[in-house]
Amino acid sequence: MTVTAPRLPRLERLLAGLLNVGSWVASIVIGLGFALTLIDSQSGTRNLAILPNMQIVKIGIALFILLPTLRVLLMLVVFLRERDYRYSMIAALVLAIILMAFVIGVRTAARAPA
Amino acid sequence: MNNGMEIWLFAVSLGASALGGILGMAGGIFLVPTLTIFGKIDIHTAVGASLVSVIACSCGGAASFLNGRLTNVRLAIVLETATTLGALTGVLLSGIIPLSCLYFLFAVILLLSAQQMLARRGASTGSSDLPAPGRWSSALRLDSTYPDRALGRDVAYQVRRVPVGLMLMYGAGLISALLGIGSGVLKIPAMDTALRLPIKVSSATSNFMIGVTAAASASAYFMRGDIVPAVAGPVALGSVAGAAVGARLLQLVPNEKLRLLFVLILVGLSIQMLLRAVGVHSIGASR
Repeated sequence: MTVTAPRLPRLERLLAGLLNVGSWVASIVIGLGFALTLIDSQSGTRNLAILPNMQIVKIGIALFILLPTLRVLLMLVVFLRERDYRYSMIAALVLAIILMAFVIGVRTAARAPA
Repeated sequence: MNNGMEIWLFAVSLGASALGGILGMAGGIFLVPTLTIFGKIDIHTAVGASLVSVIACSCGGAASFLNGRLTNVRLAIVLETATTLGALTGVLLSGIIPLSCLYFLFAVILLLSAQQMLARRGASTGSSDLPAPGRWSSALRLDSTYPDRALGRDVAYQVRRVPVGLMLMYGAGLISALLGIGSGVLKIPAMDTALRLPIKVSSATSNFMIGVTAAASASAYFMRGDIVPAVAGPVALGSVAGAAVGARLLQLVPNEKLRLLFVLILVGLSIQMLLRAVGVHSIGASR
């Protein structure tokens, strides 16, 4: 292999972009949820509005959890487009394992007493 | 839950992630003991919140490592098959393991981390006893280069003993899911000793991987209802801020005193967790 130019490869550039933007979006959504909670508690409407605001925070947290999964999906797409089938399989396997964890979470939640 | 609690959670996460960031890891190892001992938060809730923190640290820091061409993306996805599988096992175990065992395990991991910090990392990169590069590494084209600032050129490196690395990574994923940490304590020996990566590459690749590992277990806990937004929300925000602060501090603080400070903190937390394991609620542990 020859010495490569110090230019960032496409995959790395895409991943850096996704993770950077994703972190900002998720943080802003969580921050928004708390800001609304704070405003409500100041104006005394807390009891009415606290649930939807916490729901916004919850969505932000879900975005954070989803972000690494999206990162693996992006890798899968890039590997497929490069016709790198060995690595496509590996990325697909990681995605499948994450999906399995998700399913286990859903099933154990259904069984646990509320 | 009042605003005071949220501010406390934010501040604690900021501190934990900044401390972790200085060491080049996520702050979960400081965060979970602090939340359970001083915040009186249930350990499952603390683990769930900490996993979100680990994801935030990983995703927030990944871009700068990727842009510095330090992350070995191909190696990361290969090892992630093992870490996520470990996380899956951890999720299944977390409902079964008694709480005292969980505290005890955490105390052990804290002590191991303290010991690892005392034993200077990265001194053992002698080239004499290098094992031959295996079939895995060439079949998967894992070998790569990284830019070395000191040398001012790209340095090529080979990845060795991938099967041993995969086994250690499975353990790291399992511990991560059970305790809500990035489990650098297992990843660092795996990367340095088994795979023989340069330290900067190992730190960057580990940071990249912990997000996916934590996402596997966090998605299960999220669906199970173990992730409480009122706790995990401030923790996530504090972690993003803390990781950014930690990355800055990394260049400022002298190394030796810092290492000793960390060892003391880790041993202190370990003793507290041990007390929890045997059912003693520590003295002066009120906020």
